[in-house]
Order: sequence, then structure tokens, then C-alpha cells
Amino acid sequence: MDVNIISEDEYGDRSYSDLFTRIMADINKLSLIEKATLVLKPTVPLFIFSVRMRAEPSSKTVADAANARSEGANVHLTITDERYAPSILEQLWKKFGRESVDQQTRFDLDVIGASESEVKALLVASDEESVNDMIGAIWRTMPEGIKNRRTFIDGRTITVVATEEIMEPYMLEEGMKIHTAEGV
Amino acid sequence: MFEVMMYDGGIYRSEELFEMIEDIGGAVLQKNRSSQMLSVTMSVPEGDRKAIEALCKDIGGEVKSVPLAGTEIAIVGPTLGRHHMPHPICDIAENLRRRGSITVVMGLARGRGKKTAQINLEEKMIIDEYDAAVFMLGNFKNCVEAKTELFRDIDAPLVLVCGPVPEGIDDAYDAIVSGVGRKMERMRTAPERAKLDEIADAVERTLSEKRKILEEDPLFVHPAEIKQLLEDYEPVNMCLRPGPIVMHLDGLRVKIGYEEHRRHVEDMAVYGRRLGEICTISPSKINDSSMLIRIKTRSEVEHDDRRAGR
Repeated sequence: MDVNIISEDEYGDRSYSDLFTRIMADINKLSLIEKATLVLKPTVPLFIFSVRMRAEPSSKTVADAANARSEGANVHLTITDERYAPSILEQLWKKFGRESVDQQTRFDLDVIGASESEVKALLVASDEESVNDMIGAIWRTMPEGIKNRRTFIDGRTITVVATEEIMEPYMLEEGMKIHTAEGV
Repeated sequence: MFEVMMYDGGIYRSEELFEMIEDIGGAVLQKNRSSQMLSVTMSVPEGDRKAIEALCKDIGGEVKSVPLAGTEIAIVGPTLGRHHMPHPICDIAENLRRRGSITVVMGLARGRGKKTAQINLEEKMIIDEYDAAVFMLGNFKNCVEAKTELFRDIDAPLVLVCGPVPEGIDDAYDAIVSGVGRKMERMRTAPERAKLDEIADAVERTLSEKRKILEEDPLFVHPAEIKQLLEDYEPVNMCLRPGPIVMHLDGLRVKIGYEEHRRHVEDMAVYGRRLGEICTISPSKINDSSMLIRIKTRSEVEHDDRRAGR
């Protein structure tokens, strides 16, 4: 991931690049980000965090995150994307009941009495959820107390403009400029 | 001269250690037992150090130097939110505990932000109850300098820990350690451990100044003597809170209700005096279930005696 920092604070510049990467890695979002631009103006204070994701957020079904195959009257699932494992399990329990889901290992499970197409079509993450998760992750990287925030979302780019008190028009303009430059 | 040291080892034959401390006229300042492990902070006569060390070795433990023993230090962050906790505040607290101090981690109620950050009088008074306070601020120089205004009226010795090197605020703190900002992970690399030691050294230096001032006009009794006295008081003895008696450089914090026990504590006798005469006893600002005992200096007691015509 490429992190571009525009800052007026020498120490903040150095540390925020590292901090941003570490927080995103910690909450499992680093792999989704292609590049990020962070504008740090603590004297104002004004913070603009703009991220461009590798792919546009879309809804995910079980078929996107696991391999499914019929085995007699059951369906065997092998989870390929660990990020969706809790959600897959939750949806299977909801649809078929806990007693019908037999989890053998962390990534392997049998769904008893289910059809392959039914299991594959189960929604495990909506596109809105993915966007919200990313916005939450950006908020987490921002300094605490900078609570007046506006968010721009276009295609693969999410930009959050944050200040402490009144959001002035020039702040939003600057945010939009960064958002556009980041690439939609 | 008494020397403070810490035994770190198992509970096996620890009774022998307690007997020896009693025999040589020393005092147990703090005792922490965790499963089969035991750490004992003790104050012993300088001349008997070797005997204690030999016994500790014999019973399978080790003796550590604890320069901050007998102190209670507050580590204060702008909030207790995930932006400030647990790292590096808890790392700093842990390192100070390793040097023998009792530490308390605090977050301000409205300390977040830059222009909107606040501290109220009650918070300042709580911080003043401690021997020293370590303030942990963030990564932006401008923000660190602006937030310093919050801590101007605090009387307790202050150590500032922050990321950048701030300018123009040297007078607001007793020591400033830079190079530690907001962190996502434990401070476990060698340079980070060195930084934690630097913070602990700064706290130690700050407290040694306070100790020097106390030496010029010594306390009427040592806090450890009052601690021994209070340990025999049943409500303290039966108190289930961790560390029911915490020593300060100039007194003690006792975790029993002020209203309920004040009279009894004031009437305790030490060197033929009532405790109420040689100490100022007040409720803790944190809540009413603790009391603070500040021991008067010899000159203060003499002054009070003259005024009372004794």
C-alpha cells in the first residue's frame, strides 16, 4: 500500500504513516487498500484521510468466500477467505439451524440437508457493510476528538474530512480536491 | 538508614523471610501474591541487606532494587478511549510498577481534541493526591503545546511524555520525555524498552527532588510506621481491596471509609501522640471509601505545639 502524507508537522508526518498502516493491518483492512492520502493540519485542526480501495465494494455471497460441493444429501464447505468465516457461520446457523452445521476444522464444515445452490447464494457481506467498515477503520486512525466529519464516497475512493468545531466550506473543498485527485 | 528492596520468588519458605524482616526491625511495604508466586517490597536496615539477600537466594527467589517503592504515581491520558489506551499508557505504568511504584491509570472525562479539551477542578485535585503524575500526549507538536495549558495549576510533580519535542513549555513540567506518541502495539523493541526506562528515570529524578525537600524538614514519623499501626486495625486488615494501604512519600492512602473510620484513626497513638495531631487526615477526592493521611513535618508539629501552648 502506498501512503502519501501531506503534513505541516514533522513528527506527526513520520508517525502517522506508520500508525495508519499498523491500524489498518490490525483491523484487517490493509489488503483492501491500494493507496491512501492523509492530510494532517493539527493547527487548524483539519484532517483529510482519503483511501482508494483495490476493488469497488460489492456484496459477497458464500460462493465468493468458500468452495462448496454436494456430498450426498449434504453440502461440504471449505472457507477460502478467512475474513468472512464468522459471517458464513452466522448465516448458515440462521438459515439451517446450529444442529445442521457440522464444523470439522476452522475452515471445513458440512451443512446437513442443504442444497449447493441454496448455500452458495447466501449473502455474507453487503456492499454497504464493507463501506461502513472502511469508514469505521478510517475514523479509528484519525486523532480522537476530531468529531465533526464529512464523508465522500465514489466508486473505489472514500474520503473523510474531519475537524473539531465548525466545518468551513474551504475544508470541504480541500477534501473534495483530495478525493478527486485520489481517483474515482 | 533503611533500604527498600523487593523479593521476587515463590511462596515456599517465605515465612522465614517475614520473620527475618521482623527480627532486624524492617517493615513489609507491599506484598503481592499471585498463585504460587510472591513479591514483597520491604524496607530493611542498610547493614542487614546482605543477610536478606542470602536468605532470598536460599529460598529460591531474587532481590531486586526498587527505587520507586513507597510511591503512588498517576499515569494520565487524555481519555480512556482506544486512541490512547492501552498503549503506551499501560506500558509506562507497567515499567513504573517494576521499579516498585504503585500506579494508577487515569483518563480525563473531556480530554479529547485540541480546542475542546478540558480538565475540571476535581480531576486536578485527584491528580494532586499522587506523588507524581505522568501525562501522555500525542504526535502533534502544536497539540501537545496547546494541551499543556490544562495542567498548569497542578501541584504534583509532572512528567510529560509525548511524540515531538515541544517548545516553550519547559516550565510547565518537571521533566519532558519525547519520542513516544500514539501507539498501536506494545512497546517491546529494544529502543522502545530504552524509552520506557528513560521515562522511569525521569520520574525517579523528579521524585528524588521531592525526597530532598522532605529531607530538609523530615516527616514526624515515617509512613511505614503508620502503615504498621494501621495493619492491626481490623477494617484495614479485613479490607478486600487490592493494596488497602498505599504509601506515599509524605503519607498514605488507606482504603477504608473516611466518615466511618476517621475518628478511630485520629485517636491511634504513635510515639505518645495522637495520629490526628501529627497528620492531616482527609477524604480522597476519588470517592469516600478511601482516606488520605498526610504526615506533618517536624517543624509543622513543633509549630502546632507552640500554638497549642504545649
